Amino acid sequence: MKLMIFIHATVSSMRVRGLHACRDTAQAPDKSGLHFALGSFKMKLFNVAIMALLMTVAVSCREAHTSSSLGPRVVVVGFDGMDPRLCVRLMDEGKLPNLAKMRDAGGFKPLGTSIPPQSPVAWSNFITGANPGVHGIFDFVHRDPSRQCAPYYSAAETVEGDLGWEVEDFNVPLNFWPFNHQPTQTLLRREGTPFWDYLDEAGVNVHIYDIPANYPPSKSKHGHMCCLSGMGTPDLLGSLGGDSQFFGEGERSRTVAGGYIEPITFSGDKAKIRLLGPEHTFLQLPERVTIDVTVYRDIKQKSARLEWQGQTILLKEGEWSDWCRLDYELRMPPFMPASHAKGICRFYLQQVSDRFRLYVTPINIDPSDPAGQVISEPEDFITDISDALGLFYTTGFQEDHKALSNKIFADHEYHEQADYVLEERLTLFDYAKQTYDDGLLFFYFSSTDLQAHMFWWDSDKKHPIRSPEMAKKYHQVVEDLYQRMDGVVGQVLEEYGETATVLVMSDHGFSTFRRQFNLNTWLRQEGYILPADCKSILRVSGKGSVDWSRTTAYGLGLNGLYINLQGREKFGIVTRRKRDAMLEEIREKLLKVRDPEDGHLIVKEVYRTDEVYHGPMTGDAPDLIVGYYREYRASWSTSLGDISDVMVSDNTEAWSADHCMAADEVPGVVFSNKPILSAAPQLIDLAPTILQALQVSPPALMKGKIYLK
Amino acid sequence: MDTLGKILVDGALAAWWLYEAIIAVLMAGFSALNVVLDPVLSTVLRVLNPIANIAGDVVYGMVSVLSPAWGLVIISAITGVVMLFLFKYTSNQTAIVASKDAIKANLLALKLYKDELRVTFLSQWRLLLAIARLQWHMFKPVAIVIFPMLVGLSQMGIRYQWRALRSGEQAYVHMYLDEPLSHEVALEPVQGVSVEVPAMAGEQDYAWRIRATESGRFALKFLVDSEMIEKELVVGDKLERVSVERAGANWVTQLFHPIEPLLPSSSPVSRIEIKYPDRESWFYGSNYWVLTFFVISMLVALVLAPVFKVKF
Repeated sequence: MKLMIFIHATVSSMRVRGLHACRDTAQAPDKSGLHFALGSFKMKLFNVAIMALLMTVAVSCREAHTSSSLGPRVVVVGFDGMDPRLCVRLMDEGKLPNLAKMRDAGGFKPLGTSIPPQSPVAWSNFITGANPGVHGIFDFVHRDPSRQCAPYYSAAETVEGDLGWEVEDFNVPLNFWPFNHQPTQTLLRREGTPFWDYLDEAGVNVHIYDIPANYPPSKSKHGHMCCLSGMGTPDLLGSLGGDSQFFGEGERSRTVAGGYIEPITFSGDKAKIRLLGPEHTFLQLPERVTIDVTVYRDIKQKSARLEWQGQTILLKEGEWSDWCRLDYELRMPPFMPASHAKGICRFYLQQVSDRFRLYVTPINIDPSDPAGQVISEPEDFITDISDALGLFYTTGFQEDHKALSNKIFADHEYHEQADYVLEERLTLFDYAKQTYDDGLLFFYFSSTDLQAHMFWWDSDKKHPIRSPEMAKKYHQVVEDLYQRMDGVVGQVLEEYGETATVLVMSDHGFSTFRRQFNLNTWLRQEGYILPADCKSILRVSGKGSVDWSRTTAYGLGLNGLYINLQGREKFGIVTRRKRDAMLEEIREKLLKVRDPEDGHLIVKEVYRTDEVYHGPMTGDAPDLIVGYYREYRASWSTSLGDISDVMVSDNTEAWSADHCMAADEVPGVVFSNKPILSAAPQLIDLAPTILQALQVSPPALMKGKIYLK
Repeated sequence: MDTLGKILVDGALAAWWLYEAIIAVLMAGFSALNVVLDPVLSTVLRVLNPIANIAGDVVYGMVSVLSPAWGLVIISAITGVVMLFLFKYTSNQTAIVASKDAIKANLLALKLYKDELRVTFLSQWRLLLAIARLQWHMFKPVAIVIFPMLVGLSQMGIRYQWRALRSGEQAYVHMYLDEPLSHEVALEPVQGVSVEVPAMAGEQDYAWRIRATESGRFALKFLVDSEMIEKELVVGDKLERVSVERAGANWVTQLFHPIEPLLPSSSPVSRIEIKYPDRESWFYGSNYWVLTFFVISMLVALVLAPVFKVKF
């Protein structure tokens, strides 16, 4: 980047010189044609020579600059969900030699995670160097108390724009004076100051790849920060988790969590399918735009041909396509050009014979042409990467775990898809290293989290969907992945071990998720939620709805418990005076809840947020955070406010491991090539430690300690 | 706002209709012209393409020691000089100078006698005539230069627009037939090329997915019923000419795909196409090479025009 600025400045100065030379020539006394022409020609040659000289000087200066004045360097590799217990075992078995090398030099500690240990919360702790009371992210799901308990995604918010000018079927936004229509915008809800802002201000270069909880990416005020958004970045359809599309013979059309399932019907060996795209919000009645794809199959050869928008691909059964471009046209009134939304997807031809099955990945925003979708800072950072690497996943969740949960993928298919994601990210990591000179390089890997969620199983009890042998086989996938990541760390140490502070960290650890606890069922059983036959706290009225005039507490999200507080919740009834006593009462009761199956305690810790959070956002937090023992977690229905009949049940999902438990049950890891002095480092300690290593004083607001020697 | 919206919508629809009408007229005109041009130019290109291919091979053989970028710079510069001389000796330089003088004189008159209405109108009319005369004097050399220029550009295009497949890379091959799905088609096995997905029929064509396994020039052999048709495939890392399409007799396709012989007129196959990857370079890669070529050749021509006393 510096080279480009330097050359740009040099070329600009050359342009000025050239202009002056021309002006001099133009003002020269009258001369004969040939003489004048030769004079002009000589002048041009002279200019070219000067240009060449300046370019050489520029490049030489840059070489000298890079070799002599590199600033301090910190390389942080973030492995989401890397677990200290498994790391220690594998290190002891000699399977993680590079991590073990750092441990042996005093550079390893379990890392205290956030309360609760959920990725958006934990990564926000890391980013701000502060607790959730400062950054305001308490869970994947928050609730709006002004609408009682209406849930919303915690890390980003879409603010609807103005309607615009009504023409025919359209609402055309006129974002200029005197109309000044505001477009629909997505805003980052995370509060607090990310630590890289202090680096940016101090002129330290910052390169951040795939960091969670930073979509839309925070702006760089001083131009020293480049960032690619990670977890939380939506697909082109606007889905945060990524919505895949699946077409199968004999299927019925339906929407499932994480995608769309559609039937495909062949006439002879030809069929048409429709790929859903983004919602066309300029229409008065918004609708999804689509792209028609013609499918030809050859049952004998077990292959298929897909055609759309002048593109053709051929696939054999069991094959994935490369990334394919999709151009969704958003038609406009006749006097305006159509808008375009550019997406990319990969096709997976699962089956041709017997029953045709075609899977399409979530439609990712095209990194080579995001067309107004801001997923990096600066906006052209992502196109620069794409120029070098081609197309790649841009959604926050790249491993399609929902396809496995929805039984679209078999285990080995998910493994293959997740492995492809890892390969792509390793290529991106190589690019990141090649373009990094000094300052901070942060790179995030999701594989250790999303493969662990689906493959981790270290319990003796029965796995919900796999035989004991298969559970063991697939847990081995996680161990193999750790070994592979150890190789990545080895490369980092080789390249930067002597010249940079290297940190390898995770936001939390992992545990088998065997039993699920329905918090709201328990609250109903204990008389906190009424009436006794209610089915969901989100049901507004009618049978099964909650009577808020008698309900005193409710659960929402994966760890949150809220008091129905008067003056805060729309229908709140518990006074502030009674709140403390009620919190203590619930806490004591929860700590005694036992699993009816074997009498095991379920809840290990119940944190009062007014005790563990400090900061201006604490008032928006749940009142209690429920921390479960390993193997237990809030039930699937609890997270969205449903109330099932059974309080504790087996987790029967493919998502068979988790970390939304008590914070001390699932700590993360921190490794460094420098000895770690602190006995019990926490996530919030990392930001001040990185700032210190880059010779920038941490602000007083950061409460974490600096723990590197 | 509603009225404005209606005016804009109706106006846009009318403009669109007009645009489509103009395009239709132009296309009809071109089709009519093509009926006359095709037999002549197709015959000319049948003779000219093999010669141009040999010349192209010789020229690129000479610059092959250089990088593709320098090769393009040198060829563009030489083309600029050649075009300059062609222009000089095919144009009426005296008449061009006279027309330019007339333009200058009338512009001067417009400036000097802006209060004299009669002189102003007269000068404007004369200016118009002088511009038309200059255009006319330009037309002849441009008409002479344009055809060899297109042939030259075509030779450059087959080298810079696409690149040869690399060993290990996959590509799609499409065979278009006059009567689709009514023929038995097959791609014979060739050493160095593996067929990953055999012929899959579409609406108008058969497609194959192939993968190059070693470098070289290969003849893909297609069996269409009992007729054997070949199509060249190039695999390698160097700057090599690639034939994207083998087509039937049509001067436009002959011009842009000059390497391979025409498909026999009796063949049911109308064309065979290989989807080679675009050449990636902001300087000499797909589409950019044309820009680079024009900028360099024109710069050279502009700089050297006074030296060689060429007026345009």
